[in-house]
Amino acid sequence: MTIKVLAFAGSPRRHGNSETLLDWVLDAMLTENDVEIEKYALTDINIAPCKGCNACEKLNTCVQKDDLVWVEEAIIKADIIILSAPIFCMGICAQAKALIDRAQVFRSRKYVLKLPIVQPERKGKRIGIFLSTAGQDWDHVFDAAIPSVKCLFNVIDVRNKDIRYLMVNNVDEKGAIKAHPGAEKDAVALAGEVLATMREMKGD
Amino acid sequence: MKALGISGSPRRHGNTETLLDAFLDGVEEAGAECEKIILRNLEFSSCKGCNACHKTGVCVIKDDLEDLFDRILDIDILALASPIYSMGVTAELKAFIDRGQFFWARKFILKDLYFNYDHIKRHKGFFISTAGQNWDHVFDGAYPVINAFFNDIGFEYRDNIIANNMDEYKGITGHPTALEDAQKAGARIVQELKKA
Repeated sequence: MTIKVLAFAGSPRRHGNSETLLDWVLDAMLTENDVEIEKYALTDINIAPCKGCNACEKLNTCVQKDDLVWVEEAIIKADIIILSAPIFCMGICAQAKALIDRAQVFRSRKYVLKLPIVQPERKGKRIGIFLSTAGQDWDHVFDAAIPSVKCLFNVIDVRNKDIRYLMVNNVDEKGAIKAHPGAEKDAVALAGEVLATMREMKGD
Repeated sequence: MKALGISGSPRRHGNTETLLDAFLDGVEEAGAECEKIILRNLEFSSCKGCNACHKTGVCVIKDDLEDLFDRILDIDILALASPIYSMGVTAELKAFIDRGQFFWARKFILKDLYFNYDHIKRHKGFFISTAGQNWDHVFDGAYPVINAFFNDIGFEYRDNIIANNMDEYKGITGHPTALEDAQKAGARIVQELKKA
């Protein structure tokens, strides 16, 4: 069965460190013939911040008809959802936070309207991956981003235990990650593990 | 003495802005000059991550944040307000904070911006927030971001004026103490700065 992968490059910088990390994962996945990949750079599509209007709690849809309209569908269809984003000022960059905040439409569906996010037979068969890079060398530099990432995956029906994290600190200038001793190897290994787990989940 | 409140909520006059208003009321009553800026009324874009400011100390983006950042260092009491969305500050406030990267670059790379201990002690930063959830840890993802910003602009991160469980209280006006506490905190900080 085809494995559908949906990937977001959340950085405003194209082909920088966090997107390179993402590309390593995607390139490794592409070598398998049962994988279908869609990748979008948030800086090239239009997802405005949430207005906090709470209309989705009643309407089950967002009143802002921007690119979230099709992104929402793509998120539902995907088996593996990947978000890559750099850390800016100790938090996830604003562009990625806008996507996370707009996932409120899923939260309303799941917790207020009590409607399903995916068909019952696909529950527990979704994996989320958070890829991140930070200029700072502090180990705790990712701590504030993680709760928001967990929120996103929770509302789109990815279980906590099915979230994978690959976060690389101490890479600031564009391309710095290429000099990192373990990052590419870790990205390739992660791709392999996630695809194997997904095949198991799907019973292939 | 000048106080500035920056509201990062996309909603006007909601829980967080009302809490900010209470804080600013206290500040004003105690005799400081107050201003409130609503981020959603400004035209500005997010940081591009181009790192040009690491070389020049200036942001390449010219929009409404330019004027705000020009004035921010002259403020004595700065209140950053944002509701908690998905366990963090809103994308609007985060976009504002991310654009402050040039302060970081000036301070840590170019080293043409320096705040001594006395300066930091005289500049007070507050984080004002509300959350629907009743979890105590619901604000934890916001603190490091706020801390980093205040640090970059030479403000002491003085306190959090926060109230969770808004869903249960049916909004900030249903909270038994939050608004009064915010007002008192506003008055107290002005009195403290006057004495110093």
